[in-house]
Amino acid sequence: MLLPVIRHGKMLTGFLLSCLLAALISCGPGKHDSQMLRIGLMEEPRTTNVWLASDANSRKVLSLIYQPLYTYDPDTLDLAPWLAASMPEYDPATESYTIRLRHAKWSDGTPLTAHDVVFTVDLIRQFQVPRYYAQWQFVEKTVAVDDQTVRFFLSQPRAIFLTKTLVSFIVPKSQWAPIAQQAGSTKKPLVALMNAKIPKPLGSGPYMLEQWRQGAFLHMKKNPHFFGKNLVICNRRLGPHADAILFKMYSTADVAILALKKDAVDFFWWSIQPGYIDGLEKNRNTKIFLSDRSALYYMGFNVRHAPFSDPDFRRAATILIDKDFIIERVLQGYAASMDSIVPSENIFWHAADLPQYGHGLSREERIQMAFRLLSDAGYTWDRPPVNAAGKVVSPSGIILPSGRPMDAFTILTPPADYDPARATCGVIIQEWLKDLGIPASTRPMSFGALLQRIKDRQDFDTFILGYGQLSLDPDYLNNFFHSANDRPGGWNMSGYRNPEFDRLADASVQAMEPARRQELVWEMQRILMADLPYIPLYNPVAIEAVGTQRFEGWEQMIDGIGNIWSICRVKPLAAPM
Amino acid sequence: MNMKKLILRRSIEILAVFFIILTGLFLLFHIAPGDPVSMMVDLTMTPEDVERLVAQLGLDQPLWTQYLYYLKNFVTGNFGTSFHYGRPVIQIIGERLPATILLFTTATILAAMAGVWWGKRIAWYKGKAVDTWVTIFSLVCSTLFLPWIALLSIWLFAYWVGGFPLSGMMTPELWVVPDTGIVSKAADVAYHMLLPLMTLFIVNTGSYLLIMRSSMLETLKEDYILTARAKGLTERQVRNRHAAPNAALPVVTSVGLSLAFSVNGGALTETVFSWPGIGRELIFAVSNSDYPLAMASFLFIALVVLVANLIVDILYAYLDPRISY
Repeated sequence: MLLPVIRHGKMLTGFLLSCLLAALISCGPGKHDSQMLRIGLMEEPRTTNVWLASDANSRKVLSLIYQPLYTYDPDTLDLAPWLAASMPEYDPATESYTIRLRHAKWSDGTPLTAHDVVFTVDLIRQFQVPRYYAQWQFVEKTVAVDDQTVRFFLSQPRAIFLTKTLVSFIVPKSQWAPIAQQAGSTKKPLVALMNAKIPKPLGSGPYMLEQWRQGAFLHMKKNPHFFGKNLVICNRRLGPHADAILFKMYSTADVAILALKKDAVDFFWWSIQPGYIDGLEKNRNTKIFLSDRSALYYMGFNVRHAPFSDPDFRRAATILIDKDFIIERVLQGYAASMDSIVPSENIFWHAADLPQYGHGLSREERIQMAFRLLSDAGYTWDRPPVNAAGKVVSPSGIILPSGRPMDAFTILTPPADYDPARATCGVIIQEWLKDLGIPASTRPMSFGALLQRIKDRQDFDTFILGYGQLSLDPDYLNNFFHSANDRPGGWNMSGYRNPEFDRLADASVQAMEPARRQELVWEMQRILMADLPYIPLYNPVAIEAVGTQRFEGWEQMIDGIGNIWSICRVKPLAAPM
Repeated sequence: MNMKKLILRRSIEILAVFFIILTGLFLLFHIAPGDPVSMMVDLTMTPEDVERLVAQLGLDQPLWTQYLYYLKNFVTGNFGTSFHYGRPVIQIIGERLPATILLFTTATILAAMAGVWWGKRIAWYKGKAVDTWVTIFSLVCSTLFLPWIALLSIWLFAYWVGGFPLSGMMTPELWVVPDTGIVSKAADVAYHMLLPLMTLFIVNTGSYLLIMRSSMLETLKEDYILTARAKGLTERQVRNRHAAPNAALPVVTSVGLSLAFSVNGGALTETVFSWPGIGRELIFAVSNSDYPLAMASFLFIALVVLVANLIVDILYAYLDPRISY
């Protein structure tokens, strides 16, 4: 095989190199279409089937195609009519909400009607589509009053109807009805629905899919029938102004940042690491946006067994954790300290009057305070961390109030290659706990295994996890801490059970009046921050970067500039404002 | 043993090994912690959602039932549907494979050609300064950390110097224009191959060079080389006609297997250069427990490597009649 190669190697090498040289000469950097917005993604979207899309990148693309009835006002985070023409009208007699629709069209020019809304709800309910069914389960009946009016009858009052249900999107009956019918006739209807191939999703958003070259790029064109064109919603006149969007895939942030600096993309739709900021700031063609996020990174306890079942132990651990240190040293200052499960950036729902354990104290003061708390609770030491003179010393042999020595335990974290911040936090917290003689050690493990162990098997002591994008509605408090969700696979991973909390959570689920629900949610936070099944640690800042040479007008809101408002508002620099 | 018997015996062995791999892969993925549904979960997914999805994907069945389905599907050519893409895995592999083969096969061939070419010459200068320096340089290159050299080449040639593409296999701006011709598209792909090819070339050539050099040094001690020289042939003729063809046998094995493994792609190379190949997909499939995609990809790679082994064995026997099995 190699013999001819050896004999003619020089010739072949020369030929191949000539070909490559010719390619180099004939090609150059791609020509810019000044009206095309180029967005870099970290990974390729996995699907255009909206029911299957579980990855962030598919959702980013699909969010430009499928639209909801309502969205969030970027300034106030209140519900704002989107496909709907006005706010929902509530009829307490029938427990129903009536919504008038705008005169919107699908991207093929056919009208978007109340029948599409009814179809979407029925489809979700019929197939019990994961992620969506829970949000529509309590909607007993959906009726198209006329083409532009839809009425939802609720089986019971549910607060999330106004904050979560109505912000889920609507799909066209004309495209999905045949697919649903075919899927419904199979043995596995849900899988058939989720695996249905949708080469050209029909949507009502500002853009529509033009071409998707798997592994390379995704090209979207302006939807000529977009209902929002030139409309003013939330004091913003909508476009879109870019003729097309080109999604480019970068597998590493390093290369995507170089692409931004080199003007190969206009926006990298990904929250970048603080380490890139210096380089981007020095580049005059890029601009950085720092935005608040609705995120939660926390340490959780398995409160089903000692010592984690003891609130005093959890409080002492909280006192020992210096969140400001973590933010400064691990996150380079690009995060906010958290004193509640609800991020403080979620202005309406965050309770302000919560305890701040150990805030502003020195290391020694923290140890002394935690020592006093545990001593009062009946914990003893062979050698206490604070000696008779009140000085902090190296402790040993911590003993539980029951008289049993405290067993060594583990802090489970994702591995450093998945999230270096959480892995590092685990190591730091482990050392801080040892200051009090608490025998903790960190154990990083793969994310899948970690989740299975905590959520399904409930076989753990403590863990550090996070939610990068919590919903603005605080319904997750119910998921995380209601005793009904303390079951294998349930979201109450800590196993927290508090009848008073359950009562408030049940009431908040049904509180349709925002002010009343706000009070309940604040009270729930007070209970949680007293009991501390989770220690909230930090809420990272969303760091995003854009190129400044071609487009302007990015809309910054919670979670960053990657949102429908930006997509509808960014303009090519040459265009008159 | 004649050639027919050799092929028959090796084919049976390959089938047995393939069955072991088939079973091993199944066990490996199903016993490992984490499951595809747990990797899909977010807060909007209730335990009931998870249960429903697990049942629909057949993951609630006993392991042996799943294994029997897996074997049955394999025999009938059904490799399943990717959990995350919702598409047949064969389709996904079919989309990704050409990109991988194009890059890695070209890189292997170029590196092997250059390695053989330099290797046979360097052996001629054994003990001289040029031999020492080239050997050291080859060793350094073949031990370079690939992502580092890849990122460095992107930064240096694509960002700092300019003129080379930053990443990917094509220029999207060019491909979205409807009237872009096939020649321009082919040239664009070749243009995007330059940096990854260069990186792979730097890392891979050294090992071929060293193998060829070492083999040449052994060959040069043979009597027929002495005979060739005694016949009055030029050094060039001795090297190219008598020594190099015989010395190339070990390189045949190395290149054969490298070509086979080129279907595996290189996860790191593909990731750094955003090359849309099978290596990147494999990483994604494994880390997200996308069993059908991961298992089908590994099976495909195993099959190609096993067949390549067979071909190399046959080729060896053909090239060197002294070899018998």
